Amino acid sequence: MFGTSKASRGLIVAAGAATLLLAACSSSSSSSTTSSAAASSAAATSASASSSASGSAACDVTGKKVAFVMGAESDPFFQAMKVGAAAEAQAKGMELIWQGDAKEYSPATQIPVVDQVLAQKPDALVLIPTDPKALQPSVAKAKAAGVIVANVDTKVEDLTDVTTFITGDNADGGAKAADSLAGAIGYKAGTKYKVVVGLSSETATTNVARLEGFKKAIAEKYPDIEIVDVAYSQSKPEVANTNINNWLTKYPDLNGIFAIDGTNAQGAAAALQAKGLAGKVALVGYDAYPDNVKLVKDGVITSLIAQVPADEAKQAVDAVADALCGNTAGIQKEVVIPNFTIDKNTSEADLKKYTYVA
Amino acid sequence: MATTETHSPNPAGTQVVVASSRFKTLISNQQFILLIVWILMVIGFSLINHIFFSVGVAENILLDWAPLVLIAVGELIVIISGGIDLSVGAIVGFTGVISAFAMRSLYEGSLAEQPYLVLAIGVLVCVIVGLLVGLINSLLINYAKLVPFIATLVTLGACSGMALVFTKGAPVMGGPREAIALSPAWIGPFSRPVLIVVVVVLILWAFVHKARFGRYTFAIGSNSFAARAAGINVKRHVTKVYMLSGLMAGLAGFFFYLRLGSGAPTSGLGNELDAIAAVVIGGAALTGGVGRVSGTVLGALILTTVTSGLIISGVDPQWKRVVVAALIAIAATLQALRKTEGGAS
Repeated sequence: MFGTSKASRGLIVAAGAATLLLAACSSSSSSSTTSSAAASSAAATSASASSSASGSAACDVTGKKVAFVMGAESDPFFQAMKVGAAAEAQAKGMELIWQGDAKEYSPATQIPVVDQVLAQKPDALVLIPTDPKALQPSVAKAKAAGVIVANVDTKVEDLTDVTTFITGDNADGGAKAADSLAGAIGYKAGTKYKVVVGLSSETATTNVARLEGFKKAIAEKYPDIEIVDVAYSQSKPEVANTNINNWLTKYPDLNGIFAIDGTNAQGAAAALQAKGLAGKVALVGYDAYPDNVKLVKDGVITSLIAQVPADEAKQAVDAVADALCGNTAGIQKEVVIPNFTIDKNTSEADLKKYTYVA
Repeated sequence: MATTETHSPNPAGTQVVVASSRFKTLISNQQFILLIVWILMVIGFSLINHIFFSVGVAENILLDWAPLVLIAVGELIVIISGGIDLSVGAIVGFTGVISAFAMRSLYEGSLAEQPYLVLAIGVLVCVIVGLLVGLINSLLINYAKLVPFIATLVTLGACSGMALVFTKGAPVMGGPREAIALSPAWIGPFSRPVLIVVVVVLILWAFVHKARFGRYTFAIGSNSFAARAAGINVKRHVTKVYMLSGLMAGLAGFFFYLRLGSGAPTSGLGNELDAIAAVVIGGAALTGGVGRVSGTVLGALILTTVTSGLIISGVDPQWKRVVVAALIAIAATLQALRKTEGGAS
């Protein structure tokens, strides 16, 4: 079982640099960062580039305790991550401790959870830090207790004590959203286009990175698209709905909307349907919640940029298992998993693979 | 209509002393001031961007106003009775997802051909769940002897927590698609659901200001001991008040469902504060016994006008909080001035 899980490992490993990955595998260097958005298309094909090839002696991690401390239990993103973590832990015979605040994504609630989890003396801690600075001491504390630490999705500021950091590439996701939006509105240089962006939070690193990636791609590739407005919904779909309703009134000639997460996509989709503009104003959403995938099929949402949280978790479990065996050679310091664009033409197989389990 | 209304009866039986100055008369008429403030806002936003003065924007404002005014009037009645209901925002989300689950299973099952029947059942579910949570609030207050703040804080946590657990945080879709089709404007800027909300608010206005229900509520809020001595069954009336508030929140939950075509566990989160803001801006006193439905209606209208106005003006909508804070400060100050001006009781 150990072998099979390793074989499937790194299925969608950081496209940006299949080569870089290989290089890092063969050398024992443990620093490689792959954040290039350019080579995103290499995604699934780089499966074989998995770092597992680095000749690991089969080592038994059965019964070892791996603890996940994530952001907020209520988020389907973390639910999908939990599925991936549970499956991989089971495959390896490891015991999974899954903890996090019920709904609040904040260091104030997360730090006590980390303390409580460390009291259970896990062998490894996979932490999704809710704040890069505030959780740094928690990482140091775990390290001091001899616990192997990995970061997933978000990271602490100083990665010295962190074995590996595995994340979805949000900047790449933003760029992919720009590509998809430009395609949907039939971008031609020389014609002016207006788009708006609906966000949830001004500070969440995911929101910031996606917006930056989106803006950069617009500036570089689609200079005639103007981002006329942005606003924040605090994760409430009705607020997102209000924003979009007013923008549709304010800009009767609006071409497209980039809804940066699930709730914004939900609010925007409702606004377009209510105003009879579904399919007329392009809507690119984020996160493959099952209901949003349905709206893609119905033509209300043009496309969705999907992350692969289950895969992030799986790779994190693999990495800490390797570290527990002392196989540190094959572990990447940072692994960036590119996002995936779901639209009307996406195959059923891919839809199944990328739709979140809620 | 609002301009001619007079200040509500003062709890302690004091009347506004014959105005010693025009200024004092004016500040004693909260509704008149609110109407002026609202008109100035509309003029101001229209000058910044002429698009603001349009049916489209009015439609957007009313879509926001309707659910807010529902929970705000429910909250007003609780506040007049001397209580507070913090659970209304959570009830909005909770009833929204529960009825969304019910509608989905019916629509995907035996009632696939009857979308409007499914929606009617959805309303019923929202109403029943809202009433039940209100009942729990009143039981906690009447029999567990919790103060309203704590009792409704308990149900706030329970409802929002359950909404998140049941849905795992994701919106619940899959109900009748006709839901969203009801949202567009029907007469002028009014959609059908908004018109229904207007009727509901008119009924509540009569309930509060023209019926025994209202007199009892004011009496309890002014002095619950005196009310009891006068033969009012205070516990039973308090139960009615919180159930009514829960009912209003349930209706708001359904309104959001109609707008979004789905129930979201995060919907309504924090709306209790918007509702309390509308009530306070509308001239009610948190100490109980004072308040008018027309004031709350205008308070809610001002809040939602600010939201749309800031978006249309291209100002960061986060400024809304600052504007609302200022309005609350002014309204509360006027309230305090009226009290001192009312003289010794």
